[in-house]
Amino acid sequence: MNLIHSLIPAFNRAPVVSSGHREEDLGPTVQPHYEIKEADEAFGLTVTLPGVTKENLEITAEADSLRIVGKRAWSRPKDWSVIYRETTDANFLLELDHDNAIDTDKVHAELRDGVLRLSLPKAEAIKPRRIEVA
Amino acid sequence: MSYIRYNYPTRRSLPVAAFGRGAWNGLESEIDRLFNAALAGVEAGTNTGGRFPVDAYQDTHNVYVRAELPGFKRDAIKVEVVDGYLTLEATRESEAEKGSHHAKFNRSISLPEDVQTDGITAAYVDGVLTVTLPKKEEAKPRKISVAVS
Repeated sequence: MNLIHSLIPAFNRAPVVSSGHREEDLGPTVQPHYEIKEADEAFGLTVTLPGVTKENLEITAEADSLRIVGKRAWSRPKDWSVIYRETTDANFLLELDHDNAIDTDKVHAELRDGVLRLSLPKAEAIKPRRIEVA
Repeated sequence: MSYIRYNYPTRRSLPVAAFGRGAWNGLESEIDRLFNAALAGVEAGTNTGGRFPVDAYQDTHNVYVRAELPGFKRDAIKVEVVDGYLTLEATRESEAEKGSHHAKFNRSISLPEDVQTDGITAAYVDGVLTVTLPKKEEAKPRKISVAVS
């Protein structure tokens, strides 16, 4: 098996998918558009999630990563037929690694009109610290 | 020449790096990263030159147009019907570091002929605009019962 893994690295991905909380099957997902801004005290993350309501949004903050799952709240009524389509029904999935750079206890999130704004306060360890010379 | 971000070893890369030589594995994640970067703006309609994705549906009474327009104020969205075309226009003022930024998005959609121009309604919910356009009476299927004597 190790030989196979070394030849085809993608085979080694399976454990990552099956570990942790990923028991649910999201089906096909798309990565939403997002923007990260950095301030002195926190990172600001803006994610566009059109058609996602508060109830269908799931934000999981782990020690080293942030996972945002947005499910589409709206589904096409049965008697509606499609004339033309550009959007997708795929759920939104965004996974960002932060390597312990944020304080996950103080994350603040706000969803309005399909735009999610997250404030991610920096962890004490990475804030610039001034050291006084004695 | 582009800036390549350094990635700290994570759960995903560690066991892989333990086997094999690592060069191949690094290439694989690098290709993933390139694809992610290239595709990041495609879905959200940001790199589409002021356009946004629009869907059209119909049932027996109405035609529905749904547009993904996240993060707009209701009064910044304009819906117009002119000469058989539905025009959706949305503007956004965002506060950037270098003054305010003005963004304008618009789309025009040719409407089917059986749509009537009055009685059009629009609703904006969770970043999705839904425009409901009623069909003309003669376009609706009619049920005529004939009494057989």
